[in-house]
Amino acid sequence: MNNDAGDPVEDEGEPLSAAESLELIARQNERTRRELRVSPARLFAVWAFTWLVGWGLVYLSDDRSAALLPGWVAGIVVAVLMVGAIFYSAWHGSKPSRGIRGPSRRIGAMYGWSWGISFAAMCLIDIRVTKLLPEGSDLVPLLWSGTSLLLTGTLYLAGGMLWQDMRQYFLGGWIIVCSGASVLVGVPGNFLVLSLAGGGGFAVAALVYVVRPRG
Amino acid sequence: MAELPELDPVIHAQARLRVTVALAGLRPADQITFPRLQQLLEMTAGNLSTHLRKLEDAEYVEITKAYEHRTPVTLVRLTSKGRAAFESYTKALQRLLDAGT
Repeated sequence: MNNDAGDPVEDEGEPLSAAESLELIARQNERTRRELRVSPARLFAVWAFTWLVGWGLVYLSDDRSAALLPGWVAGIVVAVLMVGAIFYSAWHGSKPSRGIRGPSRRIGAMYGWSWGISFAAMCLIDIRVTKLLPEGSDLVPLLWSGTSLLLTGTLYLAGGMLWQDMRQYFLGGWIIVCSGASVLVGVPGNFLVLSLAGGGGFAVAALVYVVRPRG
Repeated sequence: MAELPELDPVIHAQARLRVTVALAGLRPADQITFPRLQQLLEMTAGNLSTHLRKLEDAEYVEITKAYEHRTPVTLVRLTSKGRAAFESYTKALQRLLDAGT
């Protein structure tokens, strides 16, 4: 074990009173909890921003809504925001298991990989189907928004089950409702569903974790 | 009046109490690396080692040495005996507080 020679060992100190001990326990508990159970509030806020702004711009770029900006500009903004949010999620997700070995870390890693594996397969399927559809078909955005929302929602359901977290489970359920709605309203309304209902759902989730951090 | 409970001397010392609390915050089968524990507690390595050894002598803590990518890592976890001791310690504190000491 690391034992620096000559390192002064903290003496036993003054004996603590019961109240002081309990206070010390509460303080250290709070710190440990903050470090090991990272609140997803910030993560959900990042996704809320990404969806509200990104999909909002895509909706506003459509000729049938406002045509405020060229579609390719909105497309680039969405892509950049998405890639940024994905990298942030991966970093955020690996934070609590740093220096931890055992079931928690294994569950976290398996959950993280579930996102990667299932989204890779979804992209493969969607790209293949996109190629079979006529160019510029409205079915293309519906396919992508429907499948990606469904998968996102399902993975949050799984996360809710794994960590016994009803808040996450509800978010998953809501995103799945959005998935169905996005397909039903058609283009460009599906982008509005993604932005307001999807992004809004993440914003509410972030808020819930701030207001009720212990669930 | 009920007799006042004795506080476990292994845990009832500021530094070791903090170590125990931090380890009790992990899920039962999880282990934590020495540097991460050190960072959670903001203790020097020597200090933490000394207190861990005392906790290990009481069989409250289990220390394992493993190799990850040929690098040695020291892993620490609270034993079930340690977890139980911490639980009865907090219960004893509560009783002392209720007794008005």
